[in-house]
Amino acid sequence: MAAQLSPKRTDAVIVGAGAAGNLFAAALAEAGKSVLVLDPGPAWQARDLYSSSIWARRLRWGGPVVESTGGHAFGAGFNMGWGTGGAALHHYGTWPRLMPSDFTMRSDFGKGLDWPIGYDDLRPFYDRIQEEVGVSGDADAEVWRPAGAPYPLPPLQQFAQARLLAKGFHALGMKTAPSPMAILSQDYKGRPACLYDGWCDAGCPTGALANPLVTYHPRAVKAGARFVNGAHVTQLIPGKTARAAAGVEYIDHTGTVQTALADMVILAASTVSNPAILLNSTGGAWTSGAGNSSGLVGRYFMTHSIASVYGFFDGEETENYMGVTGAQATNMDHYGKQSLGSDAFGSLQWQLAPTMKPNDLLGVAMARADLFGAELTAFMERAVHHLAVMFGFGEGLPVLENRIELSDRSGPGGTRTPRVVHTFAPESVKLSENAAQLGLKIIKAGGAAEPWAGPMASAHMMGGTIMGRDARTSITDSFGRSHDIDNLVIAGPGLFPTAGAMNPNFTNHALALRSAEHLVAQWLS
Amino acid sequence: MQTTQAFDEPAPDRRTLLKSAAFGLFAFTVGGGPMMLTPAEARTRGAALAKLSADEAALLEAFGEALVPGARAAGIAHFVDANLARPHSESLLTARYLDVLPPNDAFYKAGLAALDAASRTVLGAPFAQVSAAAAKPLITAMLPGTITPWQGPPPPLFYLAVRSDAADLVYGTRAAFARMQVPYMAHIEPPADW
Repeated sequence: MAAQLSPKRTDAVIVGAGAAGNLFAAALAEAGKSVLVLDPGPAWQARDLYSSSIWARRLRWGGPVVESTGGHAFGAGFNMGWGTGGAALHHYGTWPRLMPSDFTMRSDFGKGLDWPIGYDDLRPFYDRIQEEVGVSGDADAEVWRPAGAPYPLPPLQQFAQARLLAKGFHALGMKTAPSPMAILSQDYKGRPACLYDGWCDAGCPTGALANPLVTYHPRAVKAGARFVNGAHVTQLIPGKTARAAAGVEYIDHTGTVQTALADMVILAASTVSNPAILLNSTGGAWTSGAGNSSGLVGRYFMTHSIASVYGFFDGEETENYMGVTGAQATNMDHYGKQSLGSDAFGSLQWQLAPTMKPNDLLGVAMARADLFGAELTAFMERAVHHLAVMFGFGEGLPVLENRIELSDRSGPGGTRTPRVVHTFAPESVKLSENAAQLGLKIIKAGGAAEPWAGPMASAHMMGGTIMGRDARTSITDSFGRSHDIDNLVIAGPGLFPTAGAMNPNFTNHALALRSAEHLVAQWLS
Repeated sequence: MQTTQAFDEPAPDRRTLLKSAAFGLFAFTVGGGPMMLTPAEARTRGAALAKLSADEAALLEAFGEALVPGARAAGIAHFVDANLARPHSESLLTARYLDVLPPNDAFYKAGLAALDAASRTVLGAPFAQVSAAAAKPLITAMLPGTITPWQGPPPPLFYLAVRSDAADLVYGTRAAFARMQVPYMAHIEPPADW
């Protein structure tokens, strides 16, 4: 592979065309900056988003396979994105805000970490993002919700599955509210309302769900940002001093090594790929990786536990194939960090009635993975019309030993591929176990037959490049600026010092907007 | 709201406006020439296999059928084989979600060999020749990982991967939705029948 002789130079190079990368690209390009966005995957368009759980797999990570190990190995292949839109292209649009208590866990409980900012710092950005992309919900019904502007759109329609599950909560004196969703309940800013066909997992081609193809990507393109797909970034290139990056090296779709020089480097690849790129960047004085003077690049990787609770409503058509893949309703009565028993710790968020198609990892057939043969056939005939499910998302504590590191396997351009090592803390495991028991009690109270809880699972990727006030204990400041490299900004949920129990993409957007605007303001001044 | 109308017909609204060209059938070699076929058609027409041997394909069909009845006729062996022949980034197999380390054909081959060896040891016959009833204890021991002997990929992982492949073909296609009276409601019609 020959290196290109005349490297390109732009004001900013952005690694990754996912949610944060596109938002940064739009903000910087609209501020008049020249922007190059590099992404290893394809340039998806809406017409590529087939309504099929099978074809949806093309939207998941298609680069060098990420090894996953530890006591509770994390499903990187399922959670990571591939191509323009990133993981947000196939995400489900469940957009709750973090709670104030998520930002001060160390101070409040002596566990985990504190954020360098509080909820009030992010609140205006949550408010602006929900207005820009369109979030549907009922702020008043969400009695747990922190202060903030009401949603710009009324809640999404609910179907039988949600109504049936809600009965159990109400029977126990618990509340439910429409889940806050970045899916349009009404036509909004030129995008159409949701059709409730439940294909969110396969990508939403109508534009009802706020994936980057219909939110910040068009703005970035219109403002002149240049997107190059099939570009696998291998490392940051050292600048004149250890505190400067000259740009990035990447391998293009032909296999040629290319160099992109820039005044600013925005690393927005993914929670897994960002630390992998930093750790593979060992040029110049960066002997232990770029931005890694603390030795904490890759550390404090977090995910959410999932307690899945199922039951049959035989006398009802649950319409479990209708709605949205995320959730129709929510409950956060046990969001308090110590509300699920003295042996557990962390927050819990219930998500009721996600769409289940018959096949796939979150589909009906997988609800009883132990069944096969004639028993599976009988189960399917019953379940596709009468099964209901709810997921309890539990907070995974930040643990130093949970990490993204480099494996011994060779990746593109002589890099080493990433490996995710993950084991839930004991109190996080207990949280999920207690949530499952609570869920069984709830679903029984609602009249479900033969309820059961599935094995603990996990979803969402956070941490690995955490923000903080101290360069010795974190990778970036609250704006994602590297403590070590002056012209490096990191974006994405990898910045989160704690995970809360909330789906991360709303907070990802709010942080990215705050960081991008700060960067623009600094730059223009 | 659409509920129980013609299950195999798209609703006459925005969904139909988003139809894409129907491409993407798998390329199989039949009689020395390439043809675009569904996995079921490929099986019926005896299409050549790219990665799996005939014995491995027969074993995969037997295992898939034992897990999800209907998988054999739906063409599980040809479905898996065609995807194994694709670049990883274009694979449609659930193995992609399960972080199966490449090469994926080695994963399937090793898993099938381990299953067959376990069957010969425990049941005294190749897996493809044992009845569903006889195979049940062996298969039941895969998900908890207690199957012995086993020399291959983690048995739960192999079980879940093949079970998902089989479920894709038996329950994940447009025809399967129609059979189960589940409305498909495509925004964009998938290539072929899934």
